Amino acid sequence: MAGLSFEEQVYWTLIDLANALLTGTFIGGYYAILSIGLALSFGVMRLVNLAHGEFLIVGAYISAVILQVVNIPPFFVLFIVVPIMFGIGYGLQRFLLNRVSVQAMERRGMSANFGLMAPILVTFGLSIFISHGLLAIFASDAMSINNSLAFSAIRITSDLSVSTLRFIFFLFAIVLLIALFLFLRHSATGRAIRATSDNPTYATLMGINTEHVFAVALGISLAIGGVAGFMIGMTRTFQPFDGPQFILIAFGVVIIGGMNSIVGSLVGGVLLGIVQVLAGTYFGPSAQLVGGYMLVLAVLAFFREGLFSR
Amino acid sequence: MSTWGSRGNLSAKPGRDGRYPILTVENLSAWYGELRALQGISFSANAGEVVSVIGANGAGKSTLLRAMTGMMNLGKRAHIEGRIECQGRRLDRLRTEKIIEGGVTMVPEGRMLFSRMSVEENLLVGAHIPRARDGIKDRLAGIFEFFPRLAERRTQSVSQMSGGEQQMVAIGRALMSDPAVILFDELSLGLAPIIVDDIYDKVRQINERGVTCLVIEQDMRRALEVANHVLVMLEGDIVLDGSPDDLSREEITNAYFGTRPEGVA
Repeated sequence: MAGLSFEEQVYWTLIDLANALLTGTFIGGYYAILSIGLALSFGVMRLVNLAHGEFLIVGAYISAVILQVVNIPPFFVLFIVVPIMFGIGYGLQRFLLNRVSVQAMERRGMSANFGLMAPILVTFGLSIFISHGLLAIFASDAMSINNSLAFSAIRITSDLSVSTLRFIFFLFAIVLLIALFLFLRHSATGRAIRATSDNPTYATLMGINTEHVFAVALGISLAIGGVAGFMIGMTRTFQPFDGPQFILIAFGVVIIGGMNSIVGSLVGGVLLGIVQVLAGTYFGPSAQLVGGYMLVLAVLAFFREGLFSR
Repeated sequence: MSTWGSRGNLSAKPGRDGRYPILTVENLSAWYGELRALQGISFSANAGEVVSVIGANGAGKSTLLRAMTGMMNLGKRAHIEGRIECQGRRLDRLRTEKIIEGGVTMVPEGRMLFSRMSVEENLLVGAHIPRARDGIKDRLAGIFEFFPRLAERRTQSVSQMSGGEQQMVAIGRALMSDPAVILFDELSLGLAPIIVDDIYDKVRQINERGVTCLVIEQDMRRALEVANHVLVMLEGDIVLDGSPDDLSREEITNAYFGTRPEGVA
């Protein structure tokens, strides 16, 4: 900042900080949507879904393909993508993952450790299957969803602005997380999901069909993943093998916020977003990921179950 | 008044002997792998009865409840054979949720509440089956009238409640499914005697409203006080079946401790 007065130096330092905080916060909403499905499937089924990132990419491809075929405003595609992804999640849990779930393994007399391992191996296999399936269908060319908002910004002051898409996605995240919270709190299905999450055996004794509840939970998880996939497609290009980078973000958010907390997902996403942008701003782009994962390590060191775990 | 407690009276039909069997168990056997935990037992419970099942540890009481609630059908290792009917409907091949839908519910040993949920939420989960969703608000109000303590604490987390209060929640949760038959498993476990008195008083009141009760209890005195039908189990078999008025204390004690009465193989 050579040639600037002291007041100007302070002003630009504060502007940089404010831009980083704003951008980080709004990225946090996007990160929360990427992650909440992973937190839900772990919280309810104890399922570590290693294919979560690939399912986000599936959501992105479905959104992009529909928008290439049907001439509708981009956001309207969610009315098609969300039910499709819910159906994929419901069917996957009902007809495949319920057979290898922790509960199914325990019923067969396997140890709890083996019960945790089997679904991890199956979802790992699924992740490979999905990414190679996408490669076979779409080749390795990068795709994106064309939209007029991608390079648009909301100017707050002459020196302070935020991406329009990031702002919209942050509002989306708030609305989606509030809706999910109200659904889990006040609907019969939501209570059944929470009861099953608390203890599947007790829930069965209450007349709850836990296999159906698990399927609904993964359906919701992937439906939100569909929204996340749409967001990915709107903000950047994507390819069949992009899943792992998103599951890394999702794991980071879930570790910071806590495995079974909706509020934790939002707070975890915002914290990770802010730390990444601050690290990028002050130490260069290569420091973004390192900064984020230093935060993850710090949370693991001091709050082993996350900031909002119950 | 509450809407629960009507099913026992309304649904009962007289059996062949002119009495009102609501629950029939015929030749029921249960296995955990190679271990046979129930030895082909048979009994029936009439509508409006309190049936106490007593027996020492390992006698097969809890296995009987697991069998009656479909919890023995969950895996390959544990399974049952025989016939269980409630109100003429065969239950032994049904999944647990269908059994609950059929009017049989359970207050499990150790309460088994959903610890992250409030009193009211626990009660509402008890009304999850489709049949119980009609009139859910009236039934909830009835439960709060029956257990005023729970009304005071409806938003409190159950994990912060005393054992007696948790037992009230567990009983209220069972009533929320509007059952014809409630299976109570070890109600007195871990509770102070004065609390147990209150809980058993509530069981009597529930029974007076027409709900058939099957009580599993290690405390023989309590079990006999509340019952009008007693089953004594030993090594997976029923060794004594009758009315507490017709059976002597000695007969029951002998059966409980393994001295089989004459005439029982």
